[in-house]
Amino acid sequence: MAAGLKTIIALSFVLAVGFLLVILSCALWKAYYPLLVVATYVLAPIPNWICSHCANPDDFVESSGAAVLDLGRFCTGFLVMMGLALPVVLANSAIITVPAMIMSVIGGLLIYGTIISFAMFFQEEQDF
Amino acid sequence: MTMSEERLFRFSRPEWLNSAWVRNAGVYAAGAFFSLAFYTLLDSAVWSHSPLNASDVHIHFVDWLPFIFSTLGMLIINSVEKARLSSESFSYSGSGVAWKARVVLFLGFACLAGGMAGGVTVFVLKYVVKDVGFPALRMGVENLVANGLVGLSAVVLWISQNMEDEYSYNLAL
Repeated sequence: MAAGLKTIIALSFVLAVGFLLVILSCALWKAYYPLLVVATYVLAPIPNWICSHCANPDDFVESSGAAVLDLGRFCTGFLVMMGLALPVVLANSAIITVPAMIMSVIGGLLIYGTIISFAMFFQEEQDF
Repeated sequence: MTMSEERLFRFSRPEWLNSAWVRNAGVYAAGAFFSLAFYTLLDSAVWSHSPLNASDVHIHFVDWLPFIFSTLGMLIINSVEKARLSSESFSYSGSGVAWKARVVLFLGFACLAGGMAGGVTVFVLKYVVKDVGFPALRMGVENLVANGLVGLSAVVLWISQNMEDEYSYNLAL
């Protein structure tokens, strides 16, 4: 499947650019705090994944399954916003510079977008 | 739908509010708002102990207390099963479950409101009364904003969880 191969190549390219931006934002100013953004975005899909395995979505009689799913979504939303907020907090207190903040935010968004779109493509192939 | 005869208000809820997509987006947004609240407060704490802060005002545990109470209230409010609140359906609320749910919910709202009032108290006593100037006043404003965001997050989560009933009802048919 040529389209799938092209998608994978494009996604890995975007992932590499994202990592490049984050690592550059650390190494140029010798302050390695923005690496936390990568950890945050890698951790972000994990609560959703765990909770979707814990819950049975067909169970409508006792809606505890939906509550567990909601907890996973809440944690994912928390982690995604944390990836955006952490560089801003660091830049506000002059621990990292403002250009480093912008680079790490863009790089983090690229990394997270890659993870999400890879999961979407993978899921679509699973359904067929 | 049979629900239309039990409606109280003249305007019905728009259809798009009942989709599962909007509900999930609401839960994600609640998590994002809560994260924003936490990092707003963390920002003021980090800034207060950084070299940029030239004033004598610093963030201590007292400044975190309103946020802790707001979070506790939000946790309590959104842990209550909403279906147990309606005492009209007896099958759900035998032996005073609705009453207990209301007491717990009241405690949760009291915690949330107490947290917000505490935020205002800290802001007035620590910043307004002592006439703190603007670079340091930002810490007090961030405290207020953080408590407001926790309240907003609780509201968004509450609304999205209430959508769930309609959604499951639609699916069950």
